[in-house]
Amino acid sequence: MQIGDIFKGERYIFLDGGMGTMLQAAGLPVGERPELLAVNRPELLTSIHRAYIDAGSDIVYANTFGASAKKLAGSGYTVEQLVPAALECARKAAAPAGALVALDIGPLGELLEPAGTLRFEEACEQFKRIVCAGRDHADLIVLETMTDLYEVKAALLAAKENSSLPVMVSMTFEENGRSFTGCSVESFAATAVGLGADAVGINCSLGPAEIFPMAKALCEATRPGVPVFVKPNAGLPRADGSGYDITPQSFCEQMQPYKALGIRMLGGCCGTTPEFIRSLKESFDGERPAERAGSRRSWLCTPVRAVAVEDVTVVGERINPTGKKRFQQALREGDMDYILTQAVEQMNAGAQILDVNVGLPGVDEPALMEAAVKAIQSVVDLPLQLDSSDPEALERGLRAYNGKPIVNSVNGEQKVLDAILPLCRKYGAAVVGLTLDENGIPKKAEERVAVARRIRQAALDAGIPNEDIYIDCLTLTASAQQEDVMETLKALQTCKQEMGVHTVLGVSNISFGLPCRPYLNTAFLTMAMMHGLDLPIINPNLEEMMAAVAAFRVLTNRDKQSTDYIARYAGRTAAAPTAALQGPELGTAVEQGLKAEAAAAARELLKSKEPLEVVNGVLIPALDKVGAGFEKGTLFLPQLLQAASAAQSAFEVVKEAIARTGQGGASRGRIVVATVKGDIHDIGKNIVKVILENYGYDVTDLGRDVAPEAVVDAVKRTGAPLVGLSALMTTTLPSMQATIEALHREGLPCKVMVGGAVLTPDYAKQIGADYYAKDAKASADIAKEVFGA
Amino acid sequence: MRASVICCPPGAEAVRLQLPVALRREEVYRYMGCPQDDPTAAALLDVCEPELLAAVQPRGTWRVLFRQDAPEGLYLDPGDVGRHLVGCDRVVLMAVTLGAGVERLLRRYTAADVALASAADAAGSVLAEQAADELERILREQFAQQGLYMTGRYSPGYGDWPIQVQRELCRILDTGRSIGLGVSENSLMAPRKSITAVLGVADHPVTGKLAGCGNCVLRDTCAYRKRGKTCADR
Repeated sequence: MQIGDIFKGERYIFLDGGMGTMLQAAGLPVGERPELLAVNRPELLTSIHRAYIDAGSDIVYANTFGASAKKLAGSGYTVEQLVPAALECARKAAAPAGALVALDIGPLGELLEPAGTLRFEEACEQFKRIVCAGRDHADLIVLETMTDLYEVKAALLAAKENSSLPVMVSMTFEENGRSFTGCSVESFAATAVGLGADAVGINCSLGPAEIFPMAKALCEATRPGVPVFVKPNAGLPRADGSGYDITPQSFCEQMQPYKALGIRMLGGCCGTTPEFIRSLKESFDGERPAERAGSRRSWLCTPVRAVAVEDVTVVGERINPTGKKRFQQALREGDMDYILTQAVEQMNAGAQILDVNVGLPGVDEPALMEAAVKAIQSVVDLPLQLDSSDPEALERGLRAYNGKPIVNSVNGEQKVLDAILPLCRKYGAAVVGLTLDENGIPKKAEERVAVARRIRQAALDAGIPNEDIYIDCLTLTASAQQEDVMETLKALQTCKQEMGVHTVLGVSNISFGLPCRPYLNTAFLTMAMMHGLDLPIINPNLEEMMAAVAAFRVLTNRDKQSTDYIARYAGRTAAAPTAALQGPELGTAVEQGLKAEAAAAARELLKSKEPLEVVNGVLIPALDKVGAGFEKGTLFLPQLLQAASAAQSAFEVVKEAIARTGQGGASRGRIVVATVKGDIHDIGKNIVKVILENYGYDVTDLGRDVAPEAVVDAVKRTGAPLVGLSALMTTTLPSMQATIEALHREGLPCKVMVGGAVLTPDYAKQIGADYYAKDAKASADIAKEVFGA
Repeated sequence: MRASVICCPPGAEAVRLQLPVALRREEVYRYMGCPQDDPTAAALLDVCEPELLAAVQPRGTWRVLFRQDAPEGLYLDPGDVGRHLVGCDRVVLMAVTLGAGVERLLRRYTAADVALASAADAAGSVLAEQAADELERILREQFAQQGLYMTGRYSPGYGDWPIQVQRELCRILDTGRSIGLGVSENSLMAPRKSITAVLGVADHPVTGKLAGCGNCVLRDTCAYRKRGKTCADR
């Protein structure tokens, strides 16, 4: 058979069954690496493949599942030796029968960032090696038993960038419909299809009966035309460890309902044998697979959260430096924590998507975009809207993104369309098109619709499906162009009705230059929703805006039984102006660890005092008092941290005040902190950082798993006279030493303090550190010594 | 009652472990270095305990090997771990993890609030111990039915058993496949809140021998030791 035939859907395509099961039956010794069989016992592999082909398999998976460099380490063989050898074993069996051979690729065996330390790009490289080693020996590539969507993305990119072979992808889900890493079936479908998977499926973990509801969800979420396949286990493992619990006949019976779902390819995984494939073949062969309706919904997703844009979906606008001094400062300093605070705050306020804009003159926007995407995705699971006009920044963000994002934006200019649409296609992103071009923003609705038509056609031509095209008809300010306000809404309505695209609007611009802006913003938001707005880009922290959306959904009968509205507002009273409550004094709030109160008190105090007076006169004495209590043993770590956390929120208010005035900071000096390369335990480092910030130091936090070169760069860039390094494990102490050596080699004049559970003062001295900090309080004392009190 | 069985590579077994009913707070306070029922710590735990319990998906896997079949890369024979396994002709390799949900939650706390993050980190460590205890209970029951006896858990990094065996142990169990647990080149586990261990099995009563502080990497800085205790004291 020809490779093109397998995706046509004219007949069922039969895959093979378990390989491990067959090897175990053939007596593979416990603990032996099955990949080595390709050179040690090639005839055994060929005979297993032949048994599957005799039973009816159209495609056999070569024995390359674990043939990654990481897994083969110490085996004495390379990827380049084993992969072609295993494929040839399969070819020998397949060629006479006209069956096809798949290069089978499993997980790398090491967890990717942010949970693990394997970098995304390194994973791409690892997969590239396997693809390059096998591409000339295989008819197609199969990625299977994947549990991490990020790893799926790395492998798919590697396969697509380094070969022209079709790629089938299957993930493994547990009974709750999630993979080990929390990925949902819908997120898998949206992401893998977006990245160009030629078929998507589910394999392993469970039997046909248990997988069925997930396969149904996969069939419903996957765009029509993309084949769906399953390879279940032979039921569930028996409790006594003696194998799996169903026979080929009951397996085949449990597979019958799959016909109605419209799956096109089927086989088995753990516990299945050629007998299972034979009974599938007897039952399914000769029938034409059912047509599958599939999804035409626009999914935006991260692994754990898939949002189908079918209703008003709020995009948080706060991650954007425009007009925000404090945000600009954070970007210039590469301060990701500030961005993360904004992300978490908007998520808690109810945003469903976050816009991410890190563009600012004088910063490295591509690098910042990648860093911001990775940082935000490590703590917040909302889908992101990557907002930039720089194609390089967009590509860096798109590549690093885990899931399916939306790109903001293109417009009607040909060169913009040419630069950005292919990126959206390659990385499977939805796209926002602004109705403007080289001639500016057209005044009339009809002209804007004309630009929208052009954008839509260009996007369709680039291979972006209609449902993933979002049009922004552009909000103009009512104060300057009052007569054009309705043109925006008219254009929006026409685009939606005529082209069936989704719509976007940045809402707050409407009120620019007028007083009491929220009144205008909410009214315009409601009008726009009435005209068919899908994605309002707003500040979700403003309750009246969120309330307008919630109310709109009730009044248009979308929020059935007002469930969401009630969940949000039951037990609350509508906001009314109230007299400011008298809160505790700043010092008391810090000592008692009251975060919100400390911020409020700081705000109040700044009305009458200079920022520096607040820091030196109130904050630091309060912290000293808590610190003294901690040393005496009357207070404990939880109180110390609560107080530090409260002081931090007060400090943030002070920093905002300073950024607004543009005056020099309250800084006592700059300190770089990092958890060393290879180590991901950062609690200690985070505590040190907060305490140092509390004492008025500017801390550049490089995060965890930080390479020595990155520490060197940061010290050079900031001129910090003090560096703090932490490591929790004995295995990562050598990278602490390597970091100190790198700093010394560069002749940087900084002092180094080190800390971490397994460190001792002696060891600190031995690896060349200047100071050993036994705890966070000690690190503040060291800083005082280095910088002078 | 047996926890529900999950698919894993031949030779090993894997189960979804029962959810702990409640967090063993007395241990969390100990980890946090504060008095029992310290009001600040208790308030932090009131916030994170329900979220942790909602996010936790404990899973465990194990494999029984005869001592002579245990790969050399495990270094079971010499040193402290060898003393722990004296008299045992079989060993059980085991691993448990709380899953990626807890890992995500801990990262979120880290971005939000350092006090909450450190309380949740301590709570996560205790929950991992609870999950390991649960798997150990299942194993002990299983062996008791066969008239066999089992030592307590002994983990990589105890005494002089090098933490580097973590990788080999997880490779033999194929923990990535069965419970979603990975090990980095530096022998760090991800998700972080996971525990691996070896236990000895014999046909006569065995207690094992915990290493004590002699070879412990923390012996100079350990807070328990300064108070005249060991980490094994409950």
